[in-house]
Amino acid sequence: MQNFFNGRPEDLVHFQSTMQTIEHACSSIQMHTNPAVAEATILSLRQSPQLYQTCKFILENSQVANARFQAAAAIRDVAIREWGILSADDKRSLVSFCLCFVIQHASSPDAYVQGKVSAVGAQLMKRGWLDFMESEQEAFLSEVQMAVLGNHGVAAQFIGINFLESMVSEFSPATSTAMGLPREFHEQCRASLELHYLKKFYCWAQEAAFSVTNKVVECDSSVLEVKVCDAALRLMFQIMNWDFQLSKNAHERAINVFSSGLRNYVVLLKKSECILVQPGSSWRDVLISSGHIGWLLSLYGTLRQKSSFDTYWLDSPFAVSARQLIIQLCSLTGTIFPSDNGQMQELHLVQMLSGIIQWIHPPDIISAAIENGKSESELLDGCRVLLYIATLTTPMVFDKLLKSISPLGTLSLLSSLTCEVVKARMAENTKEETWSWYARDILLDTWTTILQPPDIGKDAELPPEGIRASACVFNLIVESELKDASASAFDDGDDSGLPQASISAMDERLSSYALLARAAVDVTIPLLTKLFSERFTLLYHGRGTSDPTCTLEELYSLLLITGHVLADDGEGETPLVPEALQAHFVDILEAKQHPVVVLSCSIIKFAEQSLDPETRAAYFSPRLMEAVIWFLARWSDTYLMPLEGGRQSDGDCQHESQPSKKALLSFFGEHNQGKLVLDIIVKISMTTLVSYPGETQLQELTCCLLLPAVVRRKNVCAHLVTLDSWHNLANAFANGRSLFSLTATHQRSLAENMIRSAAGMRNSEASNQYVRDLMGQMTSYLVDISSDSNLKSIAQQPDAILSVSCLLERLRGAARASQPRTQKAIFEMGISVMKPILTLLEIYKHESAVVYMLLKFVVDWVDGQIVFLEAKDTTIVVSFCMQLLQLYSSHNIGKISLSLSSSLLSEERTEKYKDLRALLQLLKNLCSKDLVDFSSDSSEAERTDIAQVVYLGLHIVTPLISLELLKYPKLCRDYFELLSHMLEVYPEKVAQLNNEAFAHIVGTLDFGIHHQDTEIVNMCLRALNVLASYHYKERGAGKEGLGSHAAGMMDQGGKWQEGILSRFLQALLQLLLFEDYSTELVSSAADALFPLILCEQGLYQRLGHELIERQMNPQLKSRLANALQCLTSSNELSSTLDRINSQKFRKNLYAFLGEVRGFLRTM
Amino acid sequence: MSDEEHHFESKADAGASKTYPQQAGTIRKSGYIVIKGRPCKVVEVSTSKTGKHGHAKCHFVAIDIFNGKKLEDIVPSSHNCDVPHVNRTDYQLIDISEDGFVSLLTENGNTKDDLRLPTDDSLLSQIKDGFGEGKDLVVSVMSAMGEEQICGLKDIGPK
Repeated sequence: MQNFFNGRPEDLVHFQSTMQTIEHACSSIQMHTNPAVAEATILSLRQSPQLYQTCKFILENSQVANARFQAAAAIRDVAIREWGILSADDKRSLVSFCLCFVIQHASSPDAYVQGKVSAVGAQLMKRGWLDFMESEQEAFLSEVQMAVLGNHGVAAQFIGINFLESMVSEFSPATSTAMGLPREFHEQCRASLELHYLKKFYCWAQEAAFSVTNKVVECDSSVLEVKVCDAALRLMFQIMNWDFQLSKNAHERAINVFSSGLRNYVVLLKKSECILVQPGSSWRDVLISSGHIGWLLSLYGTLRQKSSFDTYWLDSPFAVSARQLIIQLCSLTGTIFPSDNGQMQELHLVQMLSGIIQWIHPPDIISAAIENGKSESELLDGCRVLLYIATLTTPMVFDKLLKSISPLGTLSLLSSLTCEVVKARMAENTKEETWSWYARDILLDTWTTILQPPDIGKDAELPPEGIRASACVFNLIVESELKDASASAFDDGDDSGLPQASISAMDERLSSYALLARAAVDVTIPLLTKLFSERFTLLYHGRGTSDPTCTLEELYSLLLITGHVLADDGEGETPLVPEALQAHFVDILEAKQHPVVVLSCSIIKFAEQSLDPETRAAYFSPRLMEAVIWFLARWSDTYLMPLEGGRQSDGDCQHESQPSKKALLSFFGEHNQGKLVLDIIVKISMTTLVSYPGETQLQELTCCLLLPAVVRRKNVCAHLVTLDSWHNLANAFANGRSLFSLTATHQRSLAENMIRSAAGMRNSEASNQYVRDLMGQMTSYLVDISSDSNLKSIAQQPDAILSVSCLLERLRGAARASQPRTQKAIFEMGISVMKPILTLLEIYKHESAVVYMLLKFVVDWVDGQIVFLEAKDTTIVVSFCMQLLQLYSSHNIGKISLSLSSSLLSEERTEKYKDLRALLQLLKNLCSKDLVDFSSDSSEAERTDIAQVVYLGLHIVTPLISLELLKYPKLCRDYFELLSHMLEVYPEKVAQLNNEAFAHIVGTLDFGIHHQDTEIVNMCLRALNVLASYHYKERGAGKEGLGSHAAGMMDQGGKWQEGILSRFLQALLQLLLFEDYSTELVSSAADALFPLILCEQGLYQRLGHELIERQMNPQLKSRLANALQCLTSSNELSSTLDRINSQKFRKNLYAFLGEVRGFLRTM
Repeated sequence: MSDEEHHFESKADAGASKTYPQQAGTIRKSGYIVIKGRPCKVVEVSTSKTGKHGHAKCHFVAIDIFNGKKLEDIVPSSHNCDVPHVNRTDYQLIDISEDGFVSLLTENGNTKDDLRLPTDDSLLSQIKDGFGEGKDLVVSVMSAMGEEQICGLKDIGPK
């Protein structure tokens, strides 16, 4: 193939035969005969010397559409690659060729080829945009304008609009094609287009649409004019999607430069993304005052009327783009409206609303029509309009909008629409995601927007209709949820997944329910109480006679809803009682009658019944218990013993004025019912842990949600540790066997929670004693077992393994709960099991699960302790860790496992990976001693040299890490993180490493800079930078630096080993010039390259020379020589290593790569 | 806890027991389990419920530790499963005989000659090659439920 293209004569014969080859290749790809060869043929087109002529020839002459497509693609690829070396004339002619080609062949049947050529044109236009003079840009675009306005016929009009669409999409950074250029280039193009052309494009599109309007209205929908009109609307929509920057002030722009792709003001509302359009005041004439919107609405209205018998019209491309544009225009905001107190915007919204009201009103009739087969897309778009309007207005204004054109308020419309949708959903009875499902989500988002405005400053007061409306919607929603629940009660549980997963999936929906409920608490809280008590009664009466499953599922669902209504998710903070619940019910004087108290009490009382074995067996199914535990956790976070005072900065008088609020807050307080409820909660927790054997999900909720909620606050802990029930739990934990049936992770979190409750003890002594009492039995058990003379034979028995694992998990949990207050006791705990741990590691060396647990315990223990330790203790801990590493390494080095099963082997590799990761974490934790240290003594003499230790540790661990294992991304990342950290912080220690250890480090660095993960490459480059800089500076000061590691040496076989710096200089140059990498890496590569060049001047000169000599083409040769010269000399680069010089070198490297990479890589 | 110790030692005396009962819910990935009378290593555990308001059950996928075959089982998570007593012992490899047996050095200085070499070629060559090169090899022998097999190899280097 190659020699064929290298043929000399530039005549027609040559083009002809190339064309045939490409055509042949294209058709063989389509028929799938030998696709690899065909692909290679097509790719080889890009290497051809007269590429542009050949491709133009193919485009103009080939009958095979695919061949034309490939020719266009080849032009694009090569032109972008070689843009730097094209002459100005060539650039212009390429762009204008593309433009002329599409306009001339506008009516060609193969639209995808036209699309490709026009996209290529747009990309080349962008690539050259900053090179072209303004007059040149204008010349190109006036050509397009002619076409768009219809001067070359309808087909060309369509093509012209398409071209503009490609341009807009290329110039918008979010949708642009990568060109291997810095972000600034894209930003400049974007700014220039927005400033000079965007509005013009919009006007052209408007004109084009105007020009065909009559035809479109008169004729049927298949004429070309409809396509033109559709394209024009699409273009307008796309322009309205532009990320307008000019209208923003300088401050906002500065922040946003690096977050392109996101819009300036994105309100990420749950599911439906709501993007506001802020084109700025210059667009006012085009969009608002020109009557454009009126025209658009009436055009849509007319066509809708005309096509009312055509059920498919609503989903036709034209109708869809028109509606999209209308929605987009609804979200106009910002300076496009004058500052007249929002009057013009209100008028605008009223106009939009009156245009779309037919889409959604009257809801019942439309819903019925959809059930009978009408398309739902118009209704959904109508809902979206409501969402957008809600985003832009306060609830008051929102409601008022519709009143100016109809007797109804917008809120009433929204409420009846939501009710219809919910009813439709109830009637459907399927789990599938139907129209009512989508509509419900959009409408719920609308409610959320109204009830919970995103910006605090917005006036969120709800008109009285709003309160009634939300009560009504909530009512219906709960009814529908209950119906869903009882209908699905007998479904197979298999698909339900983790309760937490399904809860969080429902979370968004539930929190919008909660907002609705809180908008009308007077109605909704009593409603929930009533629904609960109905179901409780049903259960009690039907006991033993009827199947309670449906009721259980309804209760499950009610508990979730009520949990959301009553309390917010704290996410680790202390959530306050929701404002709506605090502020209402002013006339309630006695706490017991407060509706929130009544509701809470009824649920807690119900939950308490699970303590009775018979009742539990009768209807507390594991799933219901899960909901109970979830509810109790969420509820107690907010209501249980709230900090007295709460949010009282605005004066006590207000507090006094609201006795109902005080009653609510104090009812479950420390001096009231709080302790009683806490006791119930602890008893229930104990029950789920002991009486629901094997229900891991339930136990997970108890250990990871409810107990953490209880031990999170100190004031609650203070009461907790005085409770008998808590003592029973602690006793069972410390001395009994019953809790051994929990799975390992739950053992761990249970231990963590038990230790955390020590915060409730009076003082540090008591806390430490409490920890000792809890853990003492366990540590002495481990000590006993490990010193048992018969250990070898009993250790491998399954029940021994189970006990040891359980205890280790608990120790680990305790270690994770280390706090200054209990640090001492936990340190002692670890010290007392140090010897047993080494014994057990030896005994269980084949029992990977136990080994991993041993390692993880040490990791967590060291993590919690290291910063507190005094020098003496540090030495003990460090030497223990080194013993552990040595022992682990001696067991595993050179070990081969023999198994027939590949899955067992891979399982084993995974275990090895996890162990090593734990060991690296251990080293990393040790490292942190050098950064954070709370110990009091500072005598240097006793100090352990942490760096020395960690290098030693690395030396032990690295031989275990094979390149095979580095394929695990997490291990790889951990390893390089630690390695680069060590090299960065302690380069001087590297010089002291022995050859073997050093070779290993170099080997992994070499592996690292060729890794595909940029983060890892970055870390390696940083490490190289530090090593080379260190060496350069030391040498400058007349010292050894890296010594023999840098100079190179003879290895044992008598072969010359290159020094590290020269080796990496070559590797890095090779990478930068000839390989693929992300452009993000260039600056860190520059930082590494600069000191390397300074260290190895001679080698660098030689390499540069070789590079130039290899270049055959004399023109390119001189270019390369110049570029290399510039790399080290331009911008007044000097040979000192400092920030300024590094920055200069970065700039130089960028310029250098831009200059030469294009041709170096293709030659 | 003193009770536990007692319990523990009595088991030690019983010694020969091949399996132990353990609640299904506490058996984790990479633990052992008996399925269809075979000792297995668990490679996957998932839980599900028998109906929404029913009880949890565990689904185990496990690999027979001797023949590498995959086995599955579903057990209510509150029920007990049998867990095999898997023992691993290291021996120094003294000799490989012509008829496919190995000769191993036990801790008390005797030899153990009743163990066959693996039949699989690649495993076999891993052992034979190492031995042929004159390395000092330690083999790990895994035994459970009356079966024995060589499961691992470690080069302890020339002493």
